[in-house]
Amino acid sequence: MCHFTQRSSTSLFPKICNIFWRFHHTSTSHLCSCSKTISDEKYQDPFQLGRKDLKNLYEDIKKELLVSAAELKEMCDYYFDGKGKAFRPMIVVLMARACNIHHNNSKEVHASQRSVAIIAEMIHTASLVHDDVIDDANSRRGKRTLNQIWGERKAVLAGDFILSAASVALARIGNTTIISVLTQVIEDLVRGEFLQLGSKENENERFAHYLEKTFKKTASLIANSCKAVSILGCPDPKVHEIAYQYGKNVGIAFQLIDDVLDFTSCANRLGKPTAADLKLGLATGPVLFACRQFPEMNAMIMRRFSKPGDVERARKYVLQSDGVQQTTYLAQRYCHAATREIRKLRPSPEREALVHLTEMVLMRDK
Amino acid sequence: MWGALLRRGVRGTGGLRCQSSGGPPWSQVVSEAEKIVGYPTSFMSLRCLLSDELSNIAMQVRKLVGTKHPLLDTARGFVYDSRNNLQMRGLVILLISKAAGPSTTEISFQHDMVSGIYSSQRSLAEITELIHTAFLVHRGIVNIGELKSCDGPLKDMQFGNKMAVLSGDFLLANACTSLAQLQNTKVVELISSAIGDLVQGIYYENSKSSEENCLTDDIGISRWKEQVFLSHSALLAKSCQAAMELAKHSAEIQDMAFQYGKHMSMSHKLHSDLQPFVKESSSDATAFSLNSAPAILHQEFLGREAWLKQIREAQGKGNIMDYKKLQEAIKAGKGVTSAIDLCRCHGNRALAALERFPPSEARDALANIVYAMSRFP
Repeated sequence: MCHFTQRSSTSLFPKICNIFWRFHHTSTSHLCSCSKTISDEKYQDPFQLGRKDLKNLYEDIKKELLVSAAELKEMCDYYFDGKGKAFRPMIVVLMARACNIHHNNSKEVHASQRSVAIIAEMIHTASLVHDDVIDDANSRRGKRTLNQIWGERKAVLAGDFILSAASVALARIGNTTIISVLTQVIEDLVRGEFLQLGSKENENERFAHYLEKTFKKTASLIANSCKAVSILGCPDPKVHEIAYQYGKNVGIAFQLIDDVLDFTSCANRLGKPTAADLKLGLATGPVLFACRQFPEMNAMIMRRFSKPGDVERARKYVLQSDGVQQTTYLAQRYCHAATREIRKLRPSPEREALVHLTEMVLMRDK
Repeated sequence: MWGALLRRGVRGTGGLRCQSSGGPPWSQVVSEAEKIVGYPTSFMSLRCLLSDELSNIAMQVRKLVGTKHPLLDTARGFVYDSRNNLQMRGLVILLISKAAGPSTTEISFQHDMVSGIYSSQRSLAEITELIHTAFLVHRGIVNIGELKSCDGPLKDMQFGNKMAVLSGDFLLANACTSLAQLQNTKVVELISSAIGDLVQGIYYENSKSSEENCLTDDIGISRWKEQVFLSHSALLAKSCQAAMELAKHSAEIQDMAFQYGKHMSMSHKLHSDLQPFVKESSSDATAFSLNSAPAILHQEFLGREAWLKQIREAQGKGNIMDYKKLQEAIKAGKGVTSAIDLCRCHGNRALAALERFPPSEARDALANIVYAMSRFP
């Protein structure tokens, strides 16, 4: 009996994934005829290739943060200490180069494209600062959070300031289309946060809700900044769509793995406490998959793991189930889609680096 | 009626009269002005108010009833206080847009005008109100670490903070989206920098408020002006300028609009700082900020040591401030009269900026706002 329910639930799953799959993906035809030849090409280390473009990234961000009050300046600079992964700026500059080469074999990154990388990191950081206040978080990237050190009132202001500085930098690019594309991110981030407040009774809706939240809170920033640099580098709308789809798929995969790591990684490796999502009442991918095998988790999800012992029990269920594997598998599929998209561009070391980057997203352990 | 009267006055002297005893009362100024801009000024767009997100918040905020989170007061303010002051910024932007008139260079988009105001300028007015409101909400965040047991359960306050951050961010994000839709990079830059100014201004306010009622900052009036410009004037000044940019008016007109917005709101801040000192009902003194203009000016005249001594005397035993006593001390000095002078001085500079606009009903209404600020009983 028990075996039967397990079987039926796991076999149901791919079906549901497929529904989302089709919902999220519309494939466009190949632009490049020579996409077959590169499959054996040696992978480039993406972080090596993009590094020269990101030299002084954090210094330049700090220059955008023009504040006269010393303490507020210190707060605004706090996370731009050069110790972050700079994952987003890296994707953005690689995408910029890949698009520029695709367009006219240009080997340069435009100043405006580098600005997009800076703005993306600033928007991301501003949202982290506010998230930490909302979640009452104590640590991030192995450091105490802004709200822990300076209090919530000032932390919220620091986040607001970083966002306003990002907006100023965005306006200075001088392109209204780019402004619209990146403003969409700001709206998505907030809407994603709202989605996180609610939960759905119905399991299928719950999954759709989770993926939508994931897109808005994480993938929209990557998708739209990729789109922005593609617009700045190449006039072809098909290329803009490729850049957007690549960013969206990588972004969703990135967050799915993040959600997995919340269960599998240990606290000091991650730089933040584990099972943090459960403690916040959030049911992420691994939980939703586990719930198929252990329907008793439904009640816990609905009460947002608020009863004593819920968090520990849910964690155990997840680790007993195939929730982690299923979520990783789903992330893989998003990465494959990202690879399919980016391979439509003309071959270049940067394009291959972006392919390689999807694998790093899957392999990362922190 | 007042509008008509003033218009006659304006025509008689060929310019804006210099303020002396003050104009009509505030409520009248506003209702006259609302007629000029076409419709009553409710700037919180329907799209925003009817959104799922805001109704979600409204539902959640109800859970806060009975707690001491400041978000409740802010939310109440939206409902009960909307006739006061709350949407003044939007109104001023519409008035100055109308006063400047259609642009002479771009005739192409004049069909877009309603009551002499471009639709882009109307949306700018709304954006400015959204930003202002977002920061009213973000001003009401509490520091969890500083809570005392009398503040009620920790969980309520955390929940209140969560709602305050989210709703403020939601309003800001909406402002950003509307701003992007204006399709003008200079306007986006101006308004974004105004948000930065506002944040810095509120930061200064905040860093004071923790010790506000035991000691004053050692700042002079020029520092005070800089900080008040950031917290109270920059948004309106830059929005007025942006309204001119949207109609492609010259750099000179843009600057005049900026000056009007700046000096009018400085005058407004001085006016409200002065209220505790000029109100006739002197039965019981309400608490006032020791960083308000009259107090800062009083300190400048008196010297810091003497001022600190007065504060200590007013504090008496048990560290409870006798505001009545302190108020009398300030009233006895030159702080109040020089704050009134400063208020009128900014008012006059706002009026001087208006001189560059052609005479119109809208310009008169802008002048009336300044006159209303300069009324002291």
